[in-house]
Parts: sequence; structure tokens; C-alpha cells
Amino acid sequence: MTNVYLSDLLERVRKPARYLGKEINAIYKSVEEIKVHLVLAFPDLYEVGMSHLGLKILYALANKMPEVYAERVFAPGADMEKILRQENLPLFSLESNTPLHSFDLVGFSLQYELSYTAVLNMLELGGIPLYSADRNEADPLVLGGGPAVFNPEPLAPFFDFFVLGDGEEVLPEIIREYAFWKDKGRKREDFLEKITRIPGIYVPGLYEPVYSQGNFSGLKALKEGVPLRIEKRTVVDLEHAFYPDSFIVPYMEVVHDRAALELFRGCSRGCRFCQAGFTYRPVRERSLNKLKELAGAIIDKTGFEELSLSSLSSSDYPQIEKLIDELQAQFHQREVSLSLPSLRADSFALKLADKVQHNRTGGVTFAPEAGSQRLRNVINKQVSEEDILKAAARAIETGRSHIKLYFMIGLPTETEEDLWGIVELARKISRLRKVAKGRRRPFKIIISASTFIPKPHTPFQWEPLLDLERIKERQELLRQGLRKVKGVDFTWHEAKMSFLEAVFARGDRRLSTVLERAFKMGSRLDAWSDSFDFSFWEEAFRREGIDPGYYAYYHPHTSAPLPWDHISTGVSKQFLISERKKALEEKITGDCRESGCSGCGLNNCPVQKGEAGCTTIF
Amino acid sequence: MYHYLLTFSKAGDLRFISHLDLLRTFIRSARRAGIPAAYSKGYNPQPKFIFAAPLAVGIEGENEYLDLYLREAWETDVIKESLNRQFPDGLKVHKVSYVDLNRPPLSAMVSAALYKVLLTNVTPSIEKTLLDILNAETILLERKGKKNKKTLNIRPYIFLLSLQKREDGKGELFMLLATGNKGGVRPHEIMSILLMGDNAGSINTKIIRKDLFILENNRLKTPEGLSPLEYLEMRYYDGTKNYYQL
Repeated sequence: MTNVYLSDLLERVRKPARYLGKEINAIYKSVEEIKVHLVLAFPDLYEVGMSHLGLKILYALANKMPEVYAERVFAPGADMEKILRQENLPLFSLESNTPLHSFDLVGFSLQYELSYTAVLNMLELGGIPLYSADRNEADPLVLGGGPAVFNPEPLAPFFDFFVLGDGEEVLPEIIREYAFWKDKGRKREDFLEKITRIPGIYVPGLYEPVYSQGNFSGLKALKEGVPLRIEKRTVVDLEHAFYPDSFIVPYMEVVHDRAALELFRGCSRGCRFCQAGFTYRPVRERSLNKLKELAGAIIDKTGFEELSLSSLSSSDYPQIEKLIDELQAQFHQREVSLSLPSLRADSFALKLADKVQHNRTGGVTFAPEAGSQRLRNVINKQVSEEDILKAAARAIETGRSHIKLYFMIGLPTETEEDLWGIVELARKISRLRKVAKGRRRPFKIIISASTFIPKPHTPFQWEPLLDLERIKERQELLRQGLRKVKGVDFTWHEAKMSFLEAVFARGDRRLSTVLERAFKMGSRLDAWSDSFDFSFWEEAFRREGIDPGYYAYYHPHTSAPLPWDHISTGVSKQFLISERKKALEEKITGDCRESGCSGCGLNNCPVQKGEAGCTTIF
Repeated sequence: MYHYLLTFSKAGDLRFISHLDLLRTFIRSARRAGIPAAYSKGYNPQPKFIFAAPLAVGIEGENEYLDLYLREAWETDVIKESLNRQFPDGLKVHKVSYVDLNRPPLSAMVSAALYKVLLTNVTPSIEKTLLDILNAETILLERKGKKNKKTLNIRPYIFLLSLQKREDGKGELFMLLATGNKGGVRPHEIMSILLMGDNAGSINTKIIRKDLFILENNRLKTPEGLSPLEYLEMRYYDGTKNYYQL
């Protein structure tokens, strides 16, 4: 596509900066001078995709290889899609405006189930056959990575291969293998079979699921020698792993409009509902000095006004206070502020939040997840009511505008009593509010309730989703209960979106036809409430003769084969079973870095070897 | 605190970024360059980068202005070069000058903006529409606010419309339109009138803002001191027929 033509397109769409590229630190190369042309595809809008750390790491990493040109493409907005379809134009990359079908490799970042139809849309708009089986040597290889690949089965027929776990080491291995294969001019099948030897690569076309009496009963390998179990890849030494400093600086405001400094990867808290807590094990930290060095380089090269100290639970970084103090000293005079996402619900965390926010007028957000101590024990969320109340009291005293508390509805063993616990907690915070003196403006309590979704590779992977009607009843119960508490705003998740997410989270390959049908009927960007239309999905399931309830409410015995059994996170199934048992007994499992190895089965784990404790492992 | 006036241009594909995007680009470029911006006081301190007038998405700006306040005194050339080294293609500082700290920023004084639009086919109908606009006493336009619609007369905001016809049938339309805190009309609003009926298709939608004008002693002048007519005569007028009114 010529530049003149791109300008003409951009004249006609909303937020043209989504498709413009050319940001500071975007990388441009000559297509003639490279060997492997890769596009990193994010199946959501630019402003969502550009908030994603993984994409930025892989973009910078791949482009460091001189023979590789890695570009970006995001899901087009509805207006852009309409023009592309009407004028029969292919979806193109941001950097060189190359149609997707002309790339060597198209790598999708799979973050959430509700982005699956956007993947199909991008393939179709990019001129790539939807099904792996329909592609030939002239088509790109389509790969997927990210959290959703821990059960990739509903997407299996659309992908040539999946990459499990951390991408930093495996992506260069794939690229080298591809370059070698391209030189020899071999067949696609040869390449796909060859890469099954790279640990962490899953080629779904080489396997076939077996069903008996309507249930999944196992996966059959179609070729000899392909692995029956695929282990995720782990970057063991995060300290020396690649981390970019020249982050792209978007023109338009993106969801997380700041630079990200990843303190550590993984989390050892062991919350039983949390998929990331199991799939990203073990915890791997960067040293304080490394982080300071990276932080300085990132601000020098990007000029961002805010640096996020990111991880799954940033207040758990062993030297977090020291890190904050030293970074603040380092950025003195440069007007760079720090932010802390994902804080535990306690007053230590709030103290940290106070430290990083010069003006404490904003709100604080915590996730107690459940309303009673009993249920928090079930899910192993180790935060007490006292912690939350102390944090709330401090938030009120320090003049913050609001506290936002995240809860889940439909957790295993949940009763109405647990939900009344949420109302009771809100009431206690509301009373604290009255005691506080000298506040000029009212303190808001925001209670947000999402729906618990059973996720693969967690101790709750065998649990059913709460019935759609009961979810709505419980949302209503909370709404009514909280209406009587002063100063409370209540928000909740669209139950039908949660239902779909649950279906695809624990789905198998039979769902792929439903995805294709829903996409063809017009389903797009389902995670956006303004474009979510459940009727497409009802119709798609009906026409394919598949009952979505089967997947959402599936409650198998722990000995039953699961569609994702061939995917290994390193955590043993035995551990998940024992955690499930402890959950039902309302027993907690301590954080392994504090109370010793809990026996999750992981190899190469520093805790297991007795190396980890409250100090840094380096 | 030290006060500077920057003259810059925003061209090419960068016309697709918004006013706020441009502000972020300036702030981040300045931080990369190590330029010590002065900050506003209050709960949420912001760097004191004040654009003379926001530029809408899709419009190029040839002579745009920014009042810049620094904590330390920097040489004007150093500011210019440091920013240009950090800027993306399409954004360029042309001139930096010292300004008295007490002088209000240009944004408080801007009264008009001169736009140039390329016409791909100057038809009699276009010419007639232009004359009709100039001869009208009132032109009512409906504007959608956040809550309600309101109708207003935009005619007083149109200071000048001038057409430069070329031999190949193409033409350049210059529009001097009121802008700033006393009200104004947007170039796209004039274009929507021009594009009605038979005229559709004879306009290239690319619009360039040539310069901004401030009101001084009841006279419009660019920050460089040129009046609108001096501006057009010096740079564009070649004696062919044109329509204008001041």
C-alpha cells in the first residue's frame, strides 16, 4: 500500500493514530534486506494492545536480530473494517503497511477468550485462510502465544502452532529454524514437524482429540515421535533476560499510558482461582540495581511521565520500599511519577501507594475477592477483614477520594451468607467514613463484582460456572443489599460475557466451528460491551448443535481426562487436586516463599532448593 | 521561570494526531531532551506548555505557536535543536525566541486563523457559493454540544474568503476565520457548506493552517507582525481574481 493511499484511508476513520505507526522508537527496516518478516498481531484495538508488556518485549527482542523485521498489527475499529471490506483492501501492518498474507510469520498474542473472533477477523481481513489445513507454502505460518494458550483447543484448527510460556528464548529459536527452512524451500509440514522438537511448541494439527459418549477422552498423536506432553518455557534467569528500554511511545492515549518496569514474574501467593498464579511459576525477580538501571534507561529513551512498577503483586517485591525511595531520588527534578498496580489489600500496600502518589487525592484499589473469611480461605486469598478495614481507614484519613474493592460472585462453596459479608464489609467502611473528620468531600466506596470463571491449570479447573440465572440473582442480591449502604457504588460484570468466557476457557476443539460461525455472523471484539452481542453466539451454538452449558457447567471427576492435559505448566495435577481438597476443607496453603515449599511439582524452582526467602534470590 | 515562544510546524502524517497527542509528544520529547520544564502549581502539576490554538485532527499546521516555560534559562538555539533531535518526522521547531515573563501566552490573544484548502476543480457553482457566503448577513449552523444542540450565526466569524484560481482549473481557497476564546468557526464547518450539492467532489479534504493572528490595536497581525492582506499578497496573490472581505 502506498503512503498516499494510507493517508486517504486515515482521512476517513475515527482515531487515525491507531493505524499510523511512526511513533518514537517504532522500528523501521527495509523489507529487501531482511530474511524473516514477522508481524506481532494483537486481537484488540491499538489502545489495548499497546498497553501490553509482552508485545513490547517481543517486538524489541525480535527486531534486535538484524535478519528479522518484526512489525505490529491490531484489530481494526468497526469503521476501518467497513472500509477495508467495501474496498477489498487487506488488513496491513503498522510499520511497512504490508498485507498480513505477505508475512512469513503471523504471531497472535492470546490474552483472553473474548478476543478469539477478533483473531479470525484479522486472519480473514489479512487474506489468510482461516484454517491451518487450508494454508499452503504461499501463506504465512500462524502462531499464538500468551496466557490463553494454556488451553488452546477451541482455537486449535486455526493455528499452525502455539508457543507455551515465556517467549524470550523460544521466539529466536523459532525464527532461526524458520530461516533455515525457508532457505531450503521445504514443505510446511516439514517445518511444523521439525519444530515439535523445540520445547514449548505445540503443533495442534499433529494431534487429534478422541471423544467417547460426548466427552473428551484423550488426544491422539497423528505422527510418531511428537511429544505427548508439551512443557511451557520458562526464562529462569530474569535478571539477565532481555528487557527493552526503547519502548514505543504512542501518540494517542492508550489504556496503560506509561512505561512498564517488570519487577518480577510469577507469584507465589497461590490464590486458587488465579490462572496466572499457576502458569507463571516460579517467581523470578530482577535485582534492585538492575531495576534502577533499566528505569533510568527507559525514561531517557521514552520520556514517559509515569513508570509502572509492574508484576502480579508488586508489594511482594522484597525490597519494594527501598526501590521506590531510590527511584524517586533518581527521578528527582525529572517529574517522573511511579505507579503500583496489583497491590495486596493491606495497610503496607497502602503505605506504598501513599509514597508513590504525591497527591493522595485519587482512589485506591484492592481485591479481597470474597466477602467472608471462610470463603477467602477456600480461595486461599490471605487477606483479613482487619487488613481491609485498616487500609480503608488510612485511605479516608489521608484524603483519598475513594476505595475500590473487587469481588467475585459464584466462587466454589459460595452461599448467600458470603455475599452478605460483602455488604457487611461495605457497611463497616461506610461507618469509618462518618468518624473521619475534616474531609471536604465525600469518600466513595466502589464495590465491583465480577464472575468467578473456572480456569484450566488451577485447583478450580473441575468446578462448574455458577448458573447464569443464579449469577443474575446474586448480582441483584448485592445490588439490593448495597443500595442501603451510604456512599457505595456497585458495578458488576455482564453475566453473559462471563458465561462465554467460561465456555471457551475450558472448551475443546469442537468449539472451533462455533467460533467461525459467530465470527461470520458478525461477532467482533466481544470484550467491548458496546460491540458484544450475545444473540450471535446463541444462534451460532444452536446452528452447530452444541450446548454451551455443557462447557460452562462441566463438573468432571478429577480423574477424567481434560482437553488441556497435554499442556504442562510444570505444576503437577496431583498438587492441583490436593489444593482443591484443601479448598473444600477451607484450609489455606501458605506463600511458599514465606512458609516453605508447598510441593507444587515445579522443577528448577528456587524455593524448592531452599534458595528463596524474604530476600532477593540473586 | 523563563518564558519562550516556539514556532513549529506539524505536517505530513502527523496531521492525524490530536491536540492532546501533540501535547504529550512535546512533553515527552522535552523530557528525553532533558529540557527543564516549569510546572503548574496545584494538586496535579502539569508542565507549562501552552499551545496558541488547538489544531484539529487531519489539519496540517505551517506556523504553529507554543508558549514554553522553563525552570532554567536555556539558549534558544539549544532548545530548538534539542527538541528537533527528539521529534518524530513531521514535527519541527523553526524558531525559538525569548518572551517577557509577564506577557500572557498567545492562547489568550489569538483571534483568527488562516487556512488553505486545495480545490481540485473550481466550478462556477463553487465561486457562487463563496460569494453567497460573503454576501449573506447570517449563516445559521447547528452545533452539537455534549448535551444539547444549538444553532448559531457563523457569518461574523468569517473574516475573509479568497480564491486563487490556477490555469489548470484547480484553485487554492484561503479562509481567515475567527478562533480563540471569543468564539469562532471551524474550517470543516465552512467546508461542509461548500461541499453541499453540486460542489461535492471538487475539494481535496487536506486543509493546512497557514498561520494564526492576534488582535492588536484593532488590527489582526501574525506574531511576526504581518496583517492578513500583507500575508497573502507577499506569499500568494498574483493578480488573478479573488474574493475577500475583512
